[in-house]
Amino acid sequence: MIIAVCGKGGVGKTTISAVAAQALHDRGNGKVLVVDADPAGGLSTALGLTPKKTLNDVRKEIIEEIKVGGRDEKDLSISLDYLLAEALTEHDNLGFLAIGRPEDVGCYCRVNVILRDAIEGLAERFDSTIIDAEAGIEQINRKVMSPVDYILLVADTSAKALNVAETIRDVAHQMIGGEGAGLVINRAREQAEVEPIKNETRLEVLGWVPEDDTVRRFDGRGESFLQLPECPARGAITGALKKAGLEI
Amino acid sequence: MALFEEQLNEIMQQADAWRADGLARELSFEGREPWPEGPSLVLEEDTALELGNPAVASLSVLLWSEEDGVEDGRITLVGPDVAETTETSIPFAQVVVVSGRFENEYESYRDIRDAVYDTRLEGFSTRTMPSKQSLWCRVSSDAAGRGFSLADLGASLIEALKELDEVEAAEVMFITSSAEHVKSLTPAARGAQRVVDALMMMYQEDNYDCETCEYQDVCDTVMDLKKIRQRLDEMKRGSGAR
Ligand SMILES: Nc1ncnc2c1ncn2[C@@H]1O[C@H](COP(=O)(O)OP(=O)(O)OP(=O)(O)O)[C@@H](O)[C@H]1O
Ligand SMILES: [Mg+2]
Repeated sequence: MIIAVCGKGGVGKTTISAVAAQALHDRGNGKVLVVDADPAGGLSTALGLTPKKTLNDVRKEIIEEIKVGGRDEKDLSISLDYLLAEALTEHDNLGFLAIGRPEDVGCYCRVNVILRDAIEGLAERFDSTIIDAEAGIEQINRKVMSPVDYILLVADTSAKALNVAETIRDVAHQMIGGEGAGLVINRAREQAEVEPIKNETRLEVLGWVPEDDTVRRFDGRGESFLQLPECPARGAITGALKKAGLEI
Repeated sequence: MALFEEQLNEIMQQADAWRADGLARELSFEGREPWPEGPSLVLEEDTALELGNPAVASLSVLLWSEEDGVEDGRITLVGPDVAETTETSIPFAQVVVVSGRFENEYESYRDIRDAVYDTRLEGFSTRTMPSKQSLWCRVSSDAAGRGFSLADLGASLIEALKELDEVEAAEVMFITSSAEHVKSLTPAARGAQRVVDALMMMYQEDNYDCETCEYQDVCDTVMDLKKIRQRLDEMKRGSGAR
């Protein structure tokens, strides 16, 4: 199962992706691929995993291969496989890939094509995949997310964030088709804050995640979320992931 | 000179020298069941043995020849087999040599390459970077526990190659003994790669100018490449006149 974590900027996508990785970081859960698809790259810090090579580096090397010439499609696809293995950071049952930041502006779509191929090919070999998407709807627009089975929408309690989540859902529906989607409301203070959102939205609400001091502390100190102890946020996120269909 | 004559001679001589020194032995596949096929991703935590990690030495060579001299079905190993090492990561070279009738060298190259690269065995992951000739493999703990041997890999490769119409005989040599042994084959391997690159270039580019081509030196020394080029030139002229 491939889950993409999407939503407005700053609502907690990276935090939720990191907690999902933590929850799945156990042999019993099979092989888990975690992808940081945000060029700004926060998930690497959140997990304490530093890739030796990013997908953008892979892209550059493949372009070099093409420039040198004498390589057919098959050579390139074999090479891509090899470079991806180099880009894959392994930590127990987790594999981690980061898209990286292209230094020349305006070539994001090329990166995204590489990203999509990478996710498709590799994800097939993993039992589950978590993608921390770039904020907003751009990646969905570019059909980067076509292999995704489920869109985990994240919003805080603001109307703006809910709006973005609903837009992403609509665009995804048009672009990709019938995959599932569900909403997680993050950083709520109490149940009462969540009720009006539940009543108002067309989205399926998977649950709400409280503002959590342990999360704040880990974030403040830059500690790896793979070490995150039991805490209210972790419990809530795990519950939401189960509802989304992930077996944890 | 035939396509890989120089490289083939060099590698065969090296192999014979290793045999003479008692470093090389023949692996027998007799009595073994063919290893099941299936794509695998072997993660680090499930790995019993890594072969040809990019940080260690790694080499993959494919050579073909119309001459005799290929000993069909032979699997040669220089160094320890999977079960014979206590290391977790060892150097690796895989040398595949086939003989047969290759009317279209370009097609043959692709057939042979695909037969080798599409051989996927359960619990044995392979990654190849053709331009670097590196081959990075992992044997899973499960496969190692079930007795996976390089004889299984060799036999599967040979079987896949023998399925090709143009292939009459195929043999494989593996080197796991040391980075030095692997690297001693690098010059020959690079030479072979340049021949392949020149060949690919010829077939892929519509208009190549020999004067400026970076593979001119290869064509100048390898007669067969020259012949292929002439043949291609004639074909193009022929189709242009029509
Ligand atoms: N449940 C929570 N409790 C406390 N703090 C939280 C919670 N969720 C997120 N945060 C904090 O909110 C901030 C933004 O979260 P995060 O980086 O996960 O958002 P994001 O959606 O990935 O942002 P961006 O769009 O910039 O990638 C972080 O400092 C994070 O620690
Ligand atoms: Mg983020």
